[in-house]
Amino acid sequence: MKVNSILKSENGDIFETVKSFFTKLFEEGVIDYLLVPQRISEGKTLTQTLIKGVDYLDGVNPFSPVMAINSAKLASQVGIAETDKKVGVVLKPCEIRALIELVKLNQAKLDNLVIIGIDCAGTFEIEQWAKLVEESGDAIAKETEVLKDIYAGKTDYAEEDAPIRLRSACQICDRFTHDKADITLSILGMEDDVLVKLEDELAAKLGLEAAEAPSSHKDVLEDMKNARTYKRESAFDEFRDKMQSMNDMADILATCTRCYACQTACPICYCRVCFFRTETFSPEPARILRWADKEGALRMPTEILLYHLTRLNHVAASCVGCGMCESSCARGIPLSILFQSVGNEVQKKLEYIPGMNIDEELPVATFKQEETI
Amino acid sequence: MSNQIDKDNFEPKIVAFLCHWCSYKAADLAGTSRLAYPTNVRTIRTMCSGSVDPVYIIKALLDGADGVLVGGCVLGDCHYQSGNYKARRKMIILHAQLRALGIDEDRVWLRWISASDGVMFRDVIFEMVEALKAKGPNPMKNPWDIWKSAKGGWKPKTINSPRGE
Repeated sequence: MKVNSILKSENGDIFETVKSFFTKLFEEGVIDYLLVPQRISEGKTLTQTLIKGVDYLDGVNPFSPVMAINSAKLASQVGIAETDKKVGVVLKPCEIRALIELVKLNQAKLDNLVIIGIDCAGTFEIEQWAKLVEESGDAIAKETEVLKDIYAGKTDYAEEDAPIRLRSACQICDRFTHDKADITLSILGMEDDVLVKLEDELAAKLGLEAAEAPSSHKDVLEDMKNARTYKRESAFDEFRDKMQSMNDMADILATCTRCYACQTACPICYCRVCFFRTETFSPEPARILRWADKEGALRMPTEILLYHLTRLNHVAASCVGCGMCESSCARGIPLSILFQSVGNEVQKKLEYIPGMNIDEELPVATFKQEETI
Repeated sequence: MSNQIDKDNFEPKIVAFLCHWCSYKAADLAGTSRLAYPTNVRTIRTMCSGSVDPVYIIKALLDGADGVLVGGCVLGDCHYQSGNYKARRKMIILHAQLRALGIDEDRVWLRWISASDGVMFRDVIFEMVEALKAKGPNPMKNPWDIWKSAKGGWKPKTINSPRGE
């Protein structure tokens, strides 16, 4: 059975608190390695690191305000079945969902992974975060301040006049918790403390006392859920109103050059080798000239619409809404709302929520006797 | 240019992906039975309707087809047990996707036509040609027109794109 426990912070330093928690996990042999975000470049940004012990825990922040990569892809690189080495992987809920989808796609294994999930209030675009921190002069102080703000639910950092704004995917994310993690860390509505949710046996092993989650935690959770769901639904409504024909999709993709950044960043674009990166889509010149003859005018590089329509089709049922496609796009194309809107329609129709239940099969790998198109 | 074609004289182009075991055999049977049906259809034989990836359907629509027909075995009769059920899943996803994007999903049809049903094959083609004539040419089939006539009216809202600031 899962229990809650509260880690008290001295001097309000949550980073020190989580550091000592991770130390305990190492010392008690719960984990042998830890995949966790860590500050680099004087705190201007954070990156994922795989560390082998307590000596490398300085500057670790599981509640990283930036997301360089959807770490499900990294977790799949360290998950193996034949080992007694446990790897703790600190993942945001969208990363846990992506990891579960990867398991279903036979591209990840959970056997040796200890999933340390966090309740996530959202992340910022890397460039904007670096700028904010640089201007502030004190990286850790700024990081602490912003994290405390968003995790207290004080501001949602979505308003026009906010100093920095959450990534668009985060702004409309209402699945910011995940109950399938082995251990969950939360600072939502926890002031300076950290709430841990874990199996009672593990809690006993770590010497943690069971405690009730404070009401402030539940309040922030509920308020954030309601606000985000409302925002999500309105964003979908707005998108539905805008999309009347193929031209509207062409508007969104007007600046696309088919650079594959979105495909590379997508945690669940599942093909090992993408069809669009094969010879089929780099034809010999004579063929391209023939196409131009037929079309009159040919957008170059070719097949941009086909690329996105196909990616949408392949990814829609499993799209976890992490928004890495948009964050990776050099042109800033609003791909997150495009993929999430289509994903939402498809998932509703299939009655499937990606990354929630590991025993539920992928929609394309199964079927029902009776269903309509 | 195709948009200016007179609707009455418009002859739709249909690309039909037919499974080897049933629908393709039905088309064959329609031929050997001397059943007459419109010449608007171009057939492509696939081993199973379940193997028709939507990329081929989308490619056909972007490259000049006015409609796409996917034909498989009657449910329960699939040569590979469940291929046609999976084809249906793929079609559910494709239709929901096209709907979400404001694109007419009724240009893509899925039909179960058994090997012994040449008559049904003929009827489906008649039916589909008639439906596509009523719709007119596929607005997706000239990609350059799509790019060129996109109005730039879709302004990413602040909620959708904090990067655009």
